[in-house]
Amino acid sequence: MNGTIQAPTLEYAQLAPMLVVFGAAIVGVLVEAFAPRYLRSAIHVPITLLSLAGAFALTIWQVVKGVPTKPAAMGAVAVDGPSLFIWGTILVLAFVSVLLINDEDHFVAAAAAVPGSAEEEQALHEGAGHTEVYPLALFAVGGMLLFPASNDLLVMFVALEVMSLPLYLLCGLARRRRLLSQEAAVKYFLLGAFSSAFFLYGTALLYGYAGSIDLAKISAALGVVGGQETLLYIGVAMLGVGLLFKIGAAPFQAWKPDVYQGAPTPITALMASGTLVAAFGALLRVFWVALGGLDWNWSPVLWAVAILTMVVGAILAITQTDIKRMLAYSSIAHGGFLLVGVVATGAAAGQNSKALSAILFYLVAYGFTTVGAFAVVTMVRDAGGEAWHLSRWAGLGKRSPLLAGIFAFFLLAFAGIPLTSGFFGKYAVFQAAVAGGATPLVIVGVVASAVAAFFYVRVIVLMFFSDPAADGPSVVLPSRGTAAVVGVAVLATVFLGVFPQPVLHLAQNAAQSLFIR
Amino acid sequence: MHIVYPVVVSALLFSIGVYGVLARRNAILVLMSVELMLNAVNLNLVAFDVWLRDRLHGGQVLTLFVIVIAAAEIGLGLAIVLAVYRNRQSIDVDRLRDLSETGASEEAGPPEEPVGVGEDADREARP
Amino acid sequence: MELYVPILVLAVLAAGFAVFSVGIAPFTGPKRWNRAKLDAYECGIEPTPQPVGGGRFPLKYMITAMLFIVFDIEIIFLYPWAVAFDRLGVFGLVEMVLFIVTVLVAYAYVWRRRGLDWD
Repeated sequence: MNGTIQAPTLEYAQLAPMLVVFGAAIVGVLVEAFAPRYLRSAIHVPITLLSLAGAFALTIWQVVKGVPTKPAAMGAVAVDGPSLFIWGTILVLAFVSVLLINDEDHFVAAAAAVPGSAEEEQALHEGAGHTEVYPLALFAVGGMLLFPASNDLLVMFVALEVMSLPLYLLCGLARRRRLLSQEAAVKYFLLGAFSSAFFLYGTALLYGYAGSIDLAKISAALGVVGGQETLLYIGVAMLGVGLLFKIGAAPFQAWKPDVYQGAPTPITALMASGTLVAAFGALLRVFWVALGGLDWNWSPVLWAVAILTMVVGAILAITQTDIKRMLAYSSIAHGGFLLVGVVATGAAAGQNSKALSAILFYLVAYGFTTVGAFAVVTMVRDAGGEAWHLSRWAGLGKRSPLLAGIFAFFLLAFAGIPLTSGFFGKYAVFQAAVAGGATPLVIVGVVASAVAAFFYVRVIVLMFFSDPAADGPSVVLPSRGTAAVVGVAVLATVFLGVFPQPVLHLAQNAAQSLFIR
Repeated sequence: MHIVYPVVVSALLFSIGVYGVLARRNAILVLMSVELMLNAVNLNLVAFDVWLRDRLHGGQVLTLFVIVIAAAEIGLGLAIVLAVYRNRQSIDVDRLRDLSETGASEEAGPPEEPVGVGEDADREARP
Repeated sequence: MELYVPILVLAVLAAGFAVFSVGIAPFTGPKRWNRAKLDAYECGIEPTPQPVGGGRFPLKYMITAMLFIVFDIEIIFLYPWAVAFDRLGVFGLVEMVLFIVTVLVAYAYVWRRRGLDWD
């Protein structure tokens, strides 16, 4: 009780991007509270987009000014090269996803009303909508920013929850197929809460082992504290479960297809891009900063997880008949490819920065492509909403060649065909893994890629070489937002596929400084 | 008192929570089991805090955060479960099977469900 | 021992005041009969009739209860600050004010969106 505490200090400049996003989210809540209903959407959209753009500008400013070399906020938040790169990526992806969220009537008018009831009719009639999605999305994005930058387990847990809680809610707000959407929310919530309890138990055990929840201090304790290895190993395992769940790695992937399918498609796009990027940042930081000295122990486990994830993702994707589920399994498989990169870290510093830059590049490439793919999914509609069943997509190439062509291009990027961003992403990760001595893993990865390519090509064949159904889905004319999203995604995929050098260079620069300890 | 006692109690509590999550079918009881797991963590943290004589009381501070976030989580969880109950008149997690490998992904519609009020409007939306 | 004398005196005074107030009230206070006075006391609002079957409460309580719990638990963060506020200085005060403002924003949202309305 009588220890001396110096008053803490906060480096506001370093934390500015996050503060802007959280501040805008709070302003958004105030708008919800005080603005009249018909104005809300008109106020929210500029606030949300401007704050994301502003946060991005602040991140860039931070890079220009020079990457900080010491953790901010009394060692709780590490704003280092990889963090800044990940922040930039998440902010751009979130900006694009918000355009998609803004676009159409994807969201339910009154979440509490039973579908088809009088209340619902009235809410629809009044043109009501849950404009809360904007502040909720901003809170989620703020959590995503904090998650990979957190330098102790307490902040990481808070960030995990700030990121997840709004997403649980957003999942359940789809306007059409409400039962599916709510089911997705329940499943995501229950499994998410379950996994964060594991994360916490792991945190508690590591705290018991190291006497601190600071990542650097845990790392320092690894060689010093003896006789309590049980605490350490169980703690690391449980922490790993919590983090791998968020990524959707193989034994913990069950939620991903269900949630991706049931959630409103713009939210799926946000989750598939932003959450994955943030979770990989956090995973890398924990395993590299805190547990780097223990890699003999966790590396074999991650090998197994990576193999299982790639195989499960690639093989189960083949059997899917639903486009969103298929993309979800593809996301699982890509998580596996990224884990190959994580396994490749751990040796010398040069090897580390190589693997890290490969992962960062892969995350950018995959994030843009996946947002674009989900944006296309929102445009192919049936009478009752988006046409998810693959059989409905048959012959789309004849009906709407441009859209089908773009989608085919995204699928080829997922498959990693040369001249798309996916190729260089996979190439960089696999190259780093070979250099790190994980050649068997790379072989499995290449085989899994080939299997995955099979089902991507199958969809392309279905779109272009089979006859369209008589009452096939219609392609809605995209709004400006959706068109912009698809355009940005196509441009990014082409650009990263043809001239990967600038972004690769940026990723290398970011990875050069590694995670600060 | 030796540190082993609180740690073992907390491990037991956590295990009971895990069992509850896996075995219970009622969503509310699953939520309660998750709370049990979180409280096991709290017990652990406070015990370690005392045992380590942590000058900055990191464990106790973390406990406070866990308590607050658990409250927020449970409020949100109840809201989601409530929304599901309104539509389905059931919160049996085993019956939430519309989204699964054999459910909506198949050509056939989802298995029979307790038909809730006004569900038809939603059903039409399915292919 | 004499350290405790003031406390004892205070306790005696408090007890005396309580007994005096409660004891004197029936003799001096005005007596006006009023139906509401005989009802069960539910925090000053009109009592809600007991639901049939007993034990099941209408859902509107749930929202109020949840809001209460969430706001109640937010206040937990004041305790660590209260323990160390003197050493945290102005910084701690400013951060605490910011925290409370954030909670107030949530409160404003609940209030404006009729989360506090009973019916």
